[in-house]
Amino acid sequence: MTPPLIRLDEIAKSFAPPGRFGIIDRGRPVRAVDGVSFEVQAGETLALVGESGCGKSTTGRLILRLLEPSAGRIFYEATDLTALSAGAMRGMRRHLQMIFQDPYGSLSPRRTVAEIIAEPLDAHGLVGSRAERRERVMALLGQVGLSPEHASRYPRQFSGGQRQRIGIARALAVGPRLIIADEPVSALDVSVQAQIVNLLQDLQESTGVAYVFIAHDLAVVRHIADRIAVMYLGRVVEIGEKRRIYAAPHHPYTQALLSAVPQPDPDVRGRRIVLEGDVPSPTDVPVGCRFHTRCPLATELCRHETPLLREIAPGQSAACHYARPNPISLAA
Amino acid sequence: MTGPLLEVEALSVAFGPKLNPVRAVDAVSFTVNAGEAVGIVGESGSGKSVTSLAILRLVPDPPGRIVGGRIRFAGADLLSLPPARMPEIRGRDIGMIFQEPMSSLNPVMTIGDQITEAVMLHERISARRRRALALEMLDLVGIPNPAERFLSYPHQFSGGMRQRVMIAMALVCRPKLVIADEPTTALDVTIQAQVLALMNRIRSTFGTAILIISHDFGVIAEVADRVVVMYAGRIVEQGDVRSIFRHPAHPYTRGLLQSIPRLEDDRRRLYQIPGSVPAPGARSAGCPFCPRCPDRLPICANAMPPMAEVGPSHHTACWTNPGASVAGAQ
Repeated sequence: MTPPLIRLDEIAKSFAPPGRFGIIDRGRPVRAVDGVSFEVQAGETLALVGESGCGKSTTGRLILRLLEPSAGRIFYEATDLTALSAGAMRGMRRHLQMIFQDPYGSLSPRRTVAEIIAEPLDAHGLVGSRAERRERVMALLGQVGLSPEHASRYPRQFSGGQRQRIGIARALAVGPRLIIADEPVSALDVSVQAQIVNLLQDLQESTGVAYVFIAHDLAVVRHIADRIAVMYLGRVVEIGEKRRIYAAPHHPYTQALLSAVPQPDPDVRGRRIVLEGDVPSPTDVPVGCRFHTRCPLATELCRHETPLLREIAPGQSAACHYARPNPISLAA
Repeated sequence: MTGPLLEVEALSVAFGPKLNPVRAVDAVSFTVNAGEAVGIVGESGSGKSVTSLAILRLVPDPPGRIVGGRIRFAGADLLSLPPARMPEIRGRDIGMIFQEPMSSLNPVMTIGDQITEAVMLHERISARRRRALALEMLDLVGIPNPAERFLSYPHQFSGGMRQRVMIAMALVCRPKLVIADEPTTALDVTIQAQVLALMNRIRSTFGTAILIISHDFGVIAEVADRVVVMYAGRIVEQGDVRSIFRHPAHPYTRGLLQSIPRLEDDRRRLYQIPGSVPAPGARSAGCPFCPRCPDRLPICANAMPPMAEVGPSHHTACWTNPGASVAGAQ
C-alpha cells in the first residue's frame, strides 16, 4: 500500500484577533481551520468546497506552508512538512505548486511571460543552459495553449483567461506532483471558464499531477473533482467520492449547499432548501455542531456534542449525529 | 393597457474621445411590462451594466455618453427630461440594487435612516412615521430584530444583510420598477438563495417589475420571465425564459448554455467557445460574434444581422435564422 501523496492530520490555524489602533486587542482568536484531516492520492483531484470563511483557502495555503499551522501535521508521502526548515520547505515546492484566483495580482507586471515561467526553473536549478531554458519555456507555453510569440509579452497584454494559462504554465514548470488551485476559474467569464477547466483536466491526464481544487462553485467542481470535501466554519463536514456526494449528500449542510445552486433551468425555479441566517463568525464558533444554528434538523444533542467525521457509506463520511446510510433528506 | 412600463429603443452609449468613440451599447431595444421580470444576461464587456446605468441616466459623463435612442418610462421620455428631474424618478419610481452593498451604503448613517432617506427626499413625514416605515421595511426583507437593527450601521451587518438593506431601500417608495445589477454576485450561494427568494416574494406581493442584470444563467432562470442576451454591446437574442433555455436560437446563447457546468451531469469535458470576448473598439461591421461562431456564413463578417422572429415572442439577430434575410430586405 503506497502512502497518500498528501495527508493532513488534525491541521488547525488560528489568527490573532485584529489589533485596534495599534494596541493588541485581547479578543478571541479567529479559528480559521480547526482540526482538518484528509488525504490526497497521486493523480487525483480533491475539491475543497464551502462558502466564504469556511477555511478552504487557508487549508490550501497551510499545505504549502505559505501559512504556518497552529497545530497538526502535514505529510508529503513520508515527509512531515511541518517539521521542515524554511529552506528545506522551499526545496519541497518543486513538488507542490499553487495557482491563484486572481491572475492579475499573481503575475509580476514588469516581467515577460518567458521570465515569469522560467523563474521557478531557475530557482530550483532545473535548467542548465539558456537554450535549454528557452526550449522548456516554449514547451510549457504550448502545453497551456499559448503560442511562442507570447513569450516576450507582458501580463497586461493578455486577457483574464490567458493570464490564468500563464499562471498554470508557471506552476507546471517544475513538474510538480500536486497543484493547489485556489478558485482558479472564479474570476473568469463562463465561456473562458470552460476552456480553463478543460485545460486543467488535459494537463492532469498528460502529467499525472494531483489537484487540490478550492472552489465555491459546486457545478464547476462536479466536472473536475474525483473526491469532494465540504467545509463549514473551519471543519470538514462531509467528504467522499464525487458521485456519492452529489447523488446522496448526507450532511444537511451539503444538501442545502447543493440545493442552493441556481440552475440554468427555469423549470426547477424555487425548489430549494433556503437556509436561515448567516454563517456565524469564526471568532465565535457555536458549541456542539457548528452548523446547528442554521440546521433545520438540529436537536439538543447537536447543541452540546460535536459530531465527528465518520464513515456513513463506503467512500463517504459525514460529521452529523443524524447521518445514516439512507440519508434523511431536507428536500423531501 | 397603454404599452410597456419601460421601453428602451435603439439605445446607444459611447465611451472615450468624441473622434474615436467606442460603442459599449449599440442599438439596444427591449421592453419591460408592468409586473414583469426581465433578465439581461451577458459576459464582461457585453454592455449589460452600461444599459442599466443609461436607463437611470447614471452613465458617468465623461467618459461615457448616450449617443442615440429613446427610453420611455411610464409615459415619460427619460432622455429628454431635464437632469434635475431624474432624482425624482430614481428612488421613487425606479428602485436600484447594486452588486456592492458596502460601497453603496453610507458607513456613517444608521440603517433605519438610510432606508427612509429616499422617502424624505420625496415627501415630508413625521419622525414617528419614519421609524415605523423603517421597521416595516426591515421586517419585509427578513432582518431579525428590526427594532434593534434599525439603529445599527452598515459595518455591523453581514454581506447578505447589507444586500437586504439595499433591497429595503430600493422598495421603500414602492417603485414600479426595480433595476438589480448583479444583486447576488458578491454573496455566498446559501445567502444568494435567500436574496433571490426574497426578490421573487416581493415581486409577487407588490407586483413590482424587475430588470435583473447578471452573468449567471442560473440566477436569470430563477427570476426572469423574459431574457435578453447581450454580446459585445448588442442584443443577440431575446425571448421568454423557456424558449431561451430550451431552444436557444443564437449560436452564442447555445454555446454559452452548453459551456455552463451543471450540477446534474458530470461530463469530464465542458463545451468551449473558442477565443474570447473582443475588446471594445476592436469590433467590425458584421456580427460581433462572427470570429468565434461555429455556424458563421460569408455574410456574417460584413453585415450585422437584423433582429428577426424565430418563434412566438422569441427573436434573434443571426444570419443563420431564415427570418433574418427577410427582415434585412425590408
